[in-house]
Amino acid sequence: MVDLSVKICGVEFKNPVIPASGTFGFGREFAEIYDISCLGAVATKGLTLEERLGNPVPRIAESRGVILNAVGLQNPGVEHFIKEDLAFLKARTRVIANVAGSSLSDYEKICARLDGLVDFIELNISCPNVKCGGMAFGIKPESVKEVTRIAKSALKTTPLIVKLSPNVESISKNAQAAEEGGADCLSLINTLTGMAIDVETRRPVLFNNTGGVSGAGVKPIALRMVYEASHATSLPVIGMGGICCGRDVVEFLLAGAAAVQVGTHNFSDTLACPKIIEQLRRFMETHGVEHVTELTGALKLN
Amino acid sequence: MREVIASVLENVRLTRDVYSLTFACDEKIKARPGQFAMIGVSGFPLRRPLAICKSEGERFTVCYRLKGEGTRRLAFDYKIGEKLSVLLPLGNGFFVGEEEKKVAVVGGGAGVFPLISAIREYAQSKEIYAYMGFASADAVCMEYEMRRAKSLSVATDDGSMGFHGTAVQALLSEIGEVKPDVILSCGPLPMLRALKEAVAGKNIPTYVSLEERMGCGIGACLVCVCDKTDGKHARVCKDGPVFEISEISL
Repeated sequence: MVDLSVKICGVEFKNPVIPASGTFGFGREFAEIYDISCLGAVATKGLTLEERLGNPVPRIAESRGVILNAVGLQNPGVEHFIKEDLAFLKARTRVIANVAGSSLSDYEKICARLDGLVDFIELNISCPNVKCGGMAFGIKPESVKEVTRIAKSALKTTPLIVKLSPNVESISKNAQAAEEGGADCLSLINTLTGMAIDVETRRPVLFNNTGGVSGAGVKPIALRMVYEASHATSLPVIGMGGICCGRDVVEFLLAGAAAVQVGTHNFSDTLACPKIIEQLRRFMETHGVEHVTELTGALKLN
Repeated sequence: MREVIASVLENVRLTRDVYSLTFACDEKIKARPGQFAMIGVSGFPLRRPLAICKSEGERFTVCYRLKGEGTRRLAFDYKIGEKLSVLLPLGNGFFVGEEEKKVAVVGGGAGVFPLISAIREYAQSKEIYAYMGFASADAVCMEYEMRRAKSLSVATDDGSMGFHGTAVQALLSEIGEVKPDVILSCGPLPMLRALKEAVAGKNIPTYVSLEERMGCGIGACLVCVCDKTDGKHARVCKDGPVFEISEISL
């Protein structure tokens, strides 16, 4: 029997596979198709203090090997989540609450509200689709450090994951900035900013003009950044970007990730996460890997 | 709602740019009229949401228009016997109440396909008056399915077949006489807007099926929202695709 469990910041996960924020809602819809207690954890849809309606449609487009989205953080607000969805998720698996804000004070308040209620808080400082805030915090190392520090100061018990944007000058510097601000863990990459164009209408497909690029095509970029971030700090890293199968997970673990998130592939294959967990298990069995943690950072450079 | 690996039974061209795809699932699955399927196309990250046109036990037919690379791949690569990853049945579908006997169905372009599933479902138990609009005679397809209705009025924009005008104009020309108890509709946005205006004040429950670009197809990702008249959003894939016309902003 191989062991898929991982421990991050003292929190045990039954396996390292987590559906990524924004692709899985609060788990209820996927729970109609499979038992979500098989997952290592669930990263929730991005939460804000108040309900947000998000951007006008179209919010999604496709390009070869990738998709673009500009949902714009539509969510029912943190109070609604606590009242309606938290217990449902907690009864099944670990809960990573993804949070976003338009100001430092938003981040402080939402972290304080969720402290002690969830297993992790994942700070979305890189959602590129919201005009005020979002991107602003995620770009410069100084603001990454500041927003991390403010969020951390509001948390007494719940460990803090900072989700890094790839649309930056140096992923290593931003990873270090998050560490200096007090982050307990990093996750990356969020989406890359891109555009899709309809040649018939001569307009961008997305109403928002630009959107976040994700899916199989971004995996090489994500792997390089996970490698860099995990070597720039001593923090555990949750890797993501284009994961579609068990072998993709192994690549991220070798690059330095302690766990992974699966996003876009949940759209291509509704059963993606349980399939990936089984594929990872099979890979370990056929390659003599007893414990999944043996893979983390085991990359041998040429 | 189930994810199945289906086998292609038939994938044929109906008109210049419309194809009909019939596939078999491994078991019987019940679908209501107006529900849809998410069809996976190999090499494309997003599944294509397509209205279920016919549902017969384990066999389903969906129709689609060649629009981009994904639908072209679907048309040219998925021959008889090919395997297809399908999520179905999805969405709420059309409901017609027990007491509603006269049903008008108003379709335009690719919007006729979900209405064919409604005609098939209710042809025996209801009086169906169908108003189906196309650009021209050569775009008309599946007429034999529409003929299950008690009355069929084909409308063409250029007058090359049937009523010269839109499906909504064809409906309006008979609505006083027919007096439908309920209207079911699907079609392009300008058609739905014209319908909303046409039925305003007539006190006839009117249900429209919306189309939107989708991500997950099951209500989790909040990509395919529409505006409701109360200022909130609804998810086209999960709360819809069928809505009462007064509850949404078109």
